[in-house]
Amino acid sequence: MPQPVQYRGMSLIVPDNDTEWMEFYAHARAHRLMVRACAACGLLRYPPTHACPWCMDLGWAWREVSGRGTIYSYEIVHHAIQPGFKELTPYPVVLVELDEQRGTPTPDEALRIIGDLLKPDLTPEAEANVAIGKRVRVIFQDLADHMALPQFTLAAEPPAGRVWQLPG
Amino acid sequence: MVVQRRGLRDKYCIVGVGETEYSRASNRTTRAMAVEAVRAAILDAGLTARDVDGMLDYQSGDSTLANHVASDLGIRLNFYMDVVGGGSSTEALIGLAMGAIEGGMCDTVAIYRSMNGYSEFRIGGTGARAAQPVRGLDLAQIPFGMRSAGQNFAPTFMRHMYEYGTTSEQVAHVKVAHSKHASQNPKALLKERVTVQDVVGSRWIVKPLHLLDCCLETDNATCLIVTSAERARDLKGRPVYVMGVAGRVSKPRLDFHWAHGPITRVAGYYAKDIVFGQAGIGPEDVDVTGSYDAFTFTTMLQLEEYGFCEKGEGGRYVSSGIIELGGRRPNNTAGGHLCEGYTHGMSMVIENVRQLRGTVDDYCPRAAEGVHTHDYAPGRCRQVKDAGIAMNLGWAIPATGSALILRR
Repeated sequence: MPQPVQYRGMSLIVPDNDTEWMEFYAHARAHRLMVRACAACGLLRYPPTHACPWCMDLGWAWREVSGRGTIYSYEIVHHAIQPGFKELTPYPVVLVELDEQRGTPTPDEALRIIGDLLKPDLTPEAEANVAIGKRVRVIFQDLADHMALPQFTLAAEPPAGRVWQLPG
Repeated sequence: MVVQRRGLRDKYCIVGVGETEYSRASNRTTRAMAVEAVRAAILDAGLTARDVDGMLDYQSGDSTLANHVASDLGIRLNFYMDVVGGGSSTEALIGLAMGAIEGGMCDTVAIYRSMNGYSEFRIGGTGARAAQPVRGLDLAQIPFGMRSAGQNFAPTFMRHMYEYGTTSEQVAHVKVAHSKHASQNPKALLKERVTVQDVVGSRWIVKPLHLLDCCLETDNATCLIVTSAERARDLKGRPVYVMGVAGRVSKPRLDFHWAHGPITRVAGYYAKDIVFGQAGIGPEDVDVTGSYDAFTFTTMLQLEEYGFCEKGEGGRYVSSGIIELGGRRPNNTAGGHLCEGYTHGMSMVIENVRQLRGTVDDYCPRAAEGVHTHDYAPGRCRQVKDAGIAMNLGWAIPATGSALILRR
């Protein structure tokens, strides 16, 4: 088993038998955002899991997605819980809706992913720039030889739909 | 339109309730606290240790197992189980207790939750919980600084504000109402009434949550006794009947519920037909609600999802005065997790049992005899007049919830 990765005071553990996450992170380390695609119905799923949540098929293949999407919701953490995040406050966490598979297979479903909203230098984006509807793209934060975290940064694109930010 | 769903309506009762004090320094083990709460509930029911032969509890590696608690009290068990779970477990375990009795496995079940949620295993996720290794599904959130309950739920709350125009001020009324109720509750940790301005002026924890939008980490143990209506007839106290129960009802994609929107939809969307269907009533028939208030928003989201108002109208509903004592349908009349103390849901069922018995433990001198003034000024009464039907809406996460309907 690879050594746990130490990141901001946390031990991130991916044992050898957890091939879902091990392979996901290896792709991320190569700076590719990959999700699993069902071999039977073709639908993409995140997080990486063993069976297809729509057709129960066990066959799958890794499929690269663009990493481009829209902020679907967000939060601004002012009071950090994890000690390693205290120096970053206030920091935004975003729920990103990826461009692939929006509204599929039902209108309420989408490929959504949690990440930090960072500047290109990997420091937290300013709160004033965070809003639902803004466009983002994936960037990668290398943590070890075999692991990188997919993160997000604002994209220089017009927003998708209504832009909204918590008042005040 | 009310559809009768197959259930066990009126066949099972809650016959006893008990708790320790609410504090932030219990200075004793979860085992000692559980023993006190279970003992209090058994005595409240007019039972003895010999009459209880089933035990259920819930915890997350932070409490004491049933075999220890039962042994300490001299209870020999015909059925017991320790369940991993937090919020929404109370109602689910009441249903499981009914099933165990119905199945002939035992006769009377004590259900407890014991936690040093402030002094030992902090529920907010700080301390030992923040240092736990991260693996498996946790990798999808925790490495991004998303660890506590508030951090886990905040995107749901934010999206509700975006979709429906819900405001911080509207939702603050939940805290205002619950603080009003806590001021009538000698047990409550926070008895001081607060204003909307107090809530929205308190410091940010994780936007859109202010400090006063969040509940209180608390040391406490709580217990309920469930038995058959037949057995309840022989007991001294007034039994409270279970009309309907739904346990741990979930949205799709529970591994990562963000995948299946709308994310502002919470589990009550799926639970309401089960629980109302069994009970054969609708929201308009309910006199008192106990809607899990881990945060102000969780109460609001559940009240609207169970149909006490239209979806999206929750902000207007909770700020209308309806949920306050003296209003049409008061919620969390003991002050709830926001003000009385945090119990992972058990205290809200205990309070509704007392409301239906007419014996809430407020400041009325003869409260235990059921004599109340119905004067809701600070430091006075919190008994709802002629409360006939009460409902509990239990929250675990946006995607999992439980519900319970009780009647007098």
